[in-house]
Amino acid sequence: MNASNKKILVIGGGMSGLTAALEAAESGAQVVLVEKTPYLGGRVAQLNKYFPKLCPPTCGLEINFKRIKNNPDITFYTLTDVTQITGQEGAFNVTLNVRPRYVNDKCVACNKCAEVCPIDRPNDFNYGLDNQKAAYLPFDMAFPLQYVIDMNVCLGEACQKCVKACEYDAIELNMAPQTVNVEVGSIILAGGWDLYDAARIDNLGFGQVANVVSNMQMERLAAPNGPTNGKIQRPSDGQEPKNVAFVQCAGSRDENHLPYCSYICCMASLKQATYLLDQDPEAQATVFYIDIRTPGRYEQFYWKVRDRENVELIRGKVAKISQAPGDMVEVVAEDTATGNKVRRTFDLVVLAAGMVPSTKTDKLPMAVKYTDDGFIDPTGLPAGVYAVGSLKSPLDVAKSVQDGTGAAIKALQSLVGR
Amino acid sequence: MEMEERKYGVYICQGCGIADAVKLEGLEKVTRKGGKIPHIKSHEILCSPEGLEFLKNDAAAEGVNCLVIAACSPRVKYEEFDIPGCLIERVNLRELVAWTQEPQHEETQALAEDYVLMGCAKIKKADIPVGAPVEIERAILVIGGGVTGLTAALEAASLGQSVVLVEKEAELGGLGAGLFQQTPRTYPYQNLEIPVVFSKIKEVLANPKIKVLTNSEVVQTDGQPGLYDVTIKTNGKEDVYKIGAVILAAGAKPYDASKLGHLGYGQSDDVVTNWELEKIAAEGKILRPSNGKPAQKVVFIQCAGSVDPDHLPYCSAFCCGTSLKQAKYVRQMNPDSLAYIVYKNMRTPGQYELFYKHTQNDPGILLTKGDVTGVQVADDGSLAVIAENTLLGEKIKLEADLVVLATGLVPATVDNPVINLNYRQGPGLPDLELYQGFADSNFICFQYETRRTGVYAAGAVRQPMDMAAAMEDAAGAALKAYQCLDHTAKGIAVHPRAWDLTFPDPFMQRCTSCKRCTEECPFGAIEEDAKGTPFFKINRCRRCSTCMGACPERIVNFKDFSVDIIGSMVKAMDVPEEGIRIVAFVCENDAGPAIDAAALHKLRLHPAVRFIPVRCLGSFNLVWIADALSRGIDGIMIMGCKYGDDYQCHFAKGSELANYRMEKLQETLDRLALESERAQFFEVAISDFDKLPKLIDDFVARVDEIGPNPYKEF
Amino acid sequence: MADETVIKSDLQFVKRLQEYGGESLKKCYQCATCSVVCNISPDDKPYPRKEMLMAQWGMKDQIVKDPDIWLCHYCGDCTTYCPRGANPGEVIGAMRQACIEHYSFPPILARMVSQMKFLPVLLAVPVLVILAVMKLVGTLGNIPEGTIKYSNMMPLLAVDAIFMAAAGFAVFVFVNGVRRYWKDLNAEVSPWKAKLSNKSVISATIEVLKDFIVHKRFKECVTNYTRATSHLLLVLGFIALGIVTAWSAYYEWASKFGLIPHKESPFAITEPIKWVALVGTGLMLYGIYLIYQQRQAKANSSGFGGYFDWLLIWVIIAVGLTGVLSWGLRLANLASLAYPMYFVHLVSVFFLFFYAPYTKMAHLVYRTTALVFAKMQGRE
Repeated sequence: MNASNKKILVIGGGMSGLTAALEAAESGAQVVLVEKTPYLGGRVAQLNKYFPKLCPPTCGLEINFKRIKNNPDITFYTLTDVTQITGQEGAFNVTLNVRPRYVNDKCVACNKCAEVCPIDRPNDFNYGLDNQKAAYLPFDMAFPLQYVIDMNVCLGEACQKCVKACEYDAIELNMAPQTVNVEVGSIILAGGWDLYDAARIDNLGFGQVANVVSNMQMERLAAPNGPTNGKIQRPSDGQEPKNVAFVQCAGSRDENHLPYCSYICCMASLKQATYLLDQDPEAQATVFYIDIRTPGRYEQFYWKVRDRENVELIRGKVAKISQAPGDMVEVVAEDTATGNKVRRTFDLVVLAAGMVPSTKTDKLPMAVKYTDDGFIDPTGLPAGVYAVGSLKSPLDVAKSVQDGTGAAIKALQSLVGR
Repeated sequence: MEMEERKYGVYICQGCGIADAVKLEGLEKVTRKGGKIPHIKSHEILCSPEGLEFLKNDAAAEGVNCLVIAACSPRVKYEEFDIPGCLIERVNLRELVAWTQEPQHEETQALAEDYVLMGCAKIKKADIPVGAPVEIERAILVIGGGVTGLTAALEAASLGQSVVLVEKEAELGGLGAGLFQQTPRTYPYQNLEIPVVFSKIKEVLANPKIKVLTNSEVVQTDGQPGLYDVTIKTNGKEDVYKIGAVILAAGAKPYDASKLGHLGYGQSDDVVTNWELEKIAAEGKILRPSNGKPAQKVVFIQCAGSVDPDHLPYCSAFCCGTSLKQAKYVRQMNPDSLAYIVYKNMRTPGQYELFYKHTQNDPGILLTKGDVTGVQVADDGSLAVIAENTLLGEKIKLEADLVVLATGLVPATVDNPVINLNYRQGPGLPDLELYQGFADSNFICFQYETRRTGVYAAGAVRQPMDMAAAMEDAAGAALKAYQCLDHTAKGIAVHPRAWDLTFPDPFMQRCTSCKRCTEECPFGAIEEDAKGTPFFKINRCRRCSTCMGACPERIVNFKDFSVDIIGSMVKAMDVPEEGIRIVAFVCENDAGPAIDAAALHKLRLHPAVRFIPVRCLGSFNLVWIADALSRGIDGIMIMGCKYGDDYQCHFAKGSELANYRMEKLQETLDRLALESERAQFFEVAISDFDKLPKLIDDFVARVDEIGPNPYKEF
Repeated sequence: MADETVIKSDLQFVKRLQEYGGESLKKCYQCATCSVVCNISPDDKPYPRKEMLMAQWGMKDQIVKDPDIWLCHYCGDCTTYCPRGANPGEVIGAMRQACIEHYSFPPILARMVSQMKFLPVLLAVPVLVILAVMKLVGTLGNIPEGTIKYSNMMPLLAVDAIFMAAAGFAVFVFVNGVRRYWKDLNAEVSPWKAKLSNKSVISATIEVLKDFIVHKRFKECVTNYTRATSHLLLVLGFIALGIVTAWSAYYEWASKFGLIPHKESPFAITEPIKWVALVGTGLMLYGIYLIYQQRQAKANSSGFGGYFDWLLIWVIIAVGLTGVLSWGLRLANLASLAYPMYFVHLVSVFFLFFYAPYTKMAHLVYRTTALVFAKMQGRE
């Protein structure tokens, strides 16, 4: 393609954005990829396994990172926000604000800075299930494999312990933010999603009842590189749970919270039931649902899990969760198949919390049409701007990849014939 | 690139604990002696700006163009050590030694020395890859003129591609053209739309880049990406078209409703499918086919033939939205009518939930979950639907004037290869049975990757999906087809090694025509000539190196990866008379990074094991076992991805074939009275870093029990 | 295949429930959050999830004889938590209205009470009756001047006659309705019918009344706990005013028969009966004020209620306010305002009595009946 001087900006380095960036770059475009966190990979990096194949997400990420490493046409920026977009299709002028990492490229990921760092911060990669140091590596497979310092909690110049400990001169506590200007022909929006704050669902006990966790926390609990080294444990006492409830539509399909369906939660909970049973074949998984939504060939996965002996599915939404004696959790629902209320106690309750598009809170610095729920309405995008993945509607990884690939062709078309 | 004069240099990094773990003098000594490379330099921090300057200056000053860099994992500092025009070999002393071994231990030293020796051995055999650009044909063939095919054709044409669109029917439009209205695709998901397919047809017909062939079928697809000769039969006449890549958008057909007799189909004219209801609605009124009278009560039965082990074991993904839409038809055309929907699970994922909510708000649309046990047809022709397990808590009987069966979709590929590839491995896409006949990808993170390079499926032939999804899918497939042509022309591999300029370069004089490679190639890239001698259709090749592992004559090689390179590495190790030595061949994409992760977590790995990363375990050639055993090595591990129906190997068959070869080998070993347990396959996923120490220790212990390799003395 | 229930869906009934304040009923997707968050819904066949489906499906026959709609005390928890905005609390209210309408004779009156457009007609009845009686006793346009005495406008005997007749009518309609309702309840073979306990009608009734005195069930609605208090105040006000009515009737009739010395009304402020009357009125007004306020405050989350609900609230407010104002205006000796106010008072009281079987007032009777039935089934 004759577009050597034309670039594509991809905002968001999660699965959709990575895919769009790579597919475009491998089709001859120059791509600038911008990510707000310190690493690429987005939400999928936090997942233990993908449904329905139960394979580790880092495997595909490894390939994608390798593609980036080997592709001179992709430039990526982490810790970066897009602050201004002007111009139009074919000639957008974009201002990027690169926030300081406080650790430069000399970092070799030796962990010395973290070893001496006196300050803890909640590990947001693990959804607050444990702490990490203010000088930290987001996670073991992070790309780039480079530490970062959380200046919100760092003691700064007064401490300097990490600076002294680093043998590689990698720490710059006075690193300043940078402004970068890029000119691009088209823009792909791939800001992804945040997990709905389950504490806002006041009848489901999240944040009040110790052994109620979110589905994303469950991913971290089950992940070998998670806070419990892959052992699913209940937060109150570290016991391995024998009896776990999965509460579907915790916030989703709910006007008081998220009126739409979050697409992934049914498959995710079924998948997490397999985590539990793989850890302890004697354990019992109970899934409370309204509709099991396993579209297409996912139905096969549903059958596979449903037919396992220790899996029970109850049609009825859990609407009350409370603390029971012995760190247990009481769950109440109506089993609509029998028409009777079910009151049961569990060791651990997993809330299938839903997806919130990042644009619900982080609006883009350009005129874009949003739905009432904060999604981007693709019918209201300027020419040359394309939205992908969960910014448009909740979806799963497979569909994000599909969508990211499709967005790449649109973005390329914007460059062609100009 | 053949280098005119090769000058070798070894550069050792002392940082990241390497100098603390091993004695550099020892490394230098073996490099000189065993590695036969006298030019050795070391630096405190090789990846630092000073270190890199030192490295580059030294290489330039000394004319070194083949550099062994003994430092960290090549996964970490990748850009830094990329020196144009130079051959670079990375020796991972940080992760494999400094971070996983006891410092300054004799075994640690031996391990590091072996890795350096292996690096020296490797670089001597490797070459800089150069691509082989080819002249190709850039037209894209789109098979299927439904909404997916039309969209794919338009997307590809918008990139300037010429497109040949083949439709088997006389008219374009496919199933979409049979719709009265379409489920909403945009927020707020309330208003039914005019079927989008009609405007697409107009656009396609008006597009000069798109050649439309109706009443046409693909008779044969011969050749390879960029160079296909596709025979298309149009109205009985065959023509050959020069094609670069193929988009398979053959769509799906409605499930055969005659198999749904238990739901009354065929027993009453008033039991119709959802497809038939579209036609009824298009007449403007919902009338009973039996007597032409208005249908007051219409019952929709969801999952008619879908999610049913006796029929289709999958969910057809569009039917819930469609029945909601059709319930709206019923109500709009007759405000006094009632539309019942009996569903198993109401599946309106994502924002389609808004459509569900909007539609059910109509007082005349009545929904319940339930299992329909039968449809009764009375003598007077009246219908009744019986359902149990309903939300009403009882078995119910719904009287109906019209019963609509929400029938699902069967992919075109279920019983027809459609694309009719002239490949030795068969005319259709492989693995279809794994996906219930759909032309799907096995890879969650790479949706368009199948085992037929240059052929990209999209729409309902790929997965059950609705038309909105099919259109997005079409765009993705169009991009992949375009990209494939781009890479093929440049002589670069396509996904996943989309940077790779190497290609298999067999030394055909020694080929025995055993055809193992032709059978095992996951991508069907190896054909046979009239005499039965294999030859490569290189544009189909994905550079997985399975052929290299398959070949008993060891004649298939890549510039930077060959049987000889790996064999030389094995032979380069120093095997002492006492103590155990084990070599582990590991997949560089999964087990390899898992070892790096174990190192990052500072886990101890057994010092007896030497890891050799390979491109894919498919490349695992049994001669390496012979090399290892004859060298006196006591045990061999191979670590690859999960295989089976849910395989994780990104080259589809690599680890499965490696395991297969290993099993064969074990039989041979047993026959030779060599304990077969010495060589074992292990499934190691990229996330299994935590399991590695025990897995390795157990194997070492087992080998220790078996005793030393009897060949050790020789 | 004989065990299946033939579903009769009445689209018009669905629409009627929607008119009665259940307009959101179609939004329900049967998740049963409502059944769970309801503190008083039993574990065995809880409500209102199943009622929501019956409403959506227009299953009129099942709905009107479903006792569970009366077990609900309209706290609004279900509405607050409903993920679909289907407002089950409101829908159940609409069902209760449909139930009252179904069992009260003649149905036409019930339909009229349900709809705002008929309010003028309904109001015309007491206005005309009272005017007619005034004409009959000769006080119409002919009230003597001087100290205001409401018996000058409407002699006590006439008041008694009118209200006895109105109350008698109401009682007749109630008895008729309850008889049919009771029969239907017992004939009902709903799949949710629970096991019968061994309680007799009498012991069940006594238990229901006991619960009622302390508003036991009402207080279990945690969200709207304060509503129990306001409702209790209102009920106590009604009871006090009932006592006052009985008391003054006793004075009136006992003195007529010479059993006690005659006491002329209005009674002096020193009389205990007056205190009870004032306290009763105060309780009633304060109770209804609280209810009004709570309704307004909670309108967004747990439902505002329909016309049917508000009609009763306004009638009670009217009865109370006009009563108090009649008293005040009499003391202030403002005859030109006092007599018309008393007229309005009489009209509102008549309205309250006469239409009791058709207004929300009827809940007193049907709820009690349903609760007794539920008690007998051991359904709590």
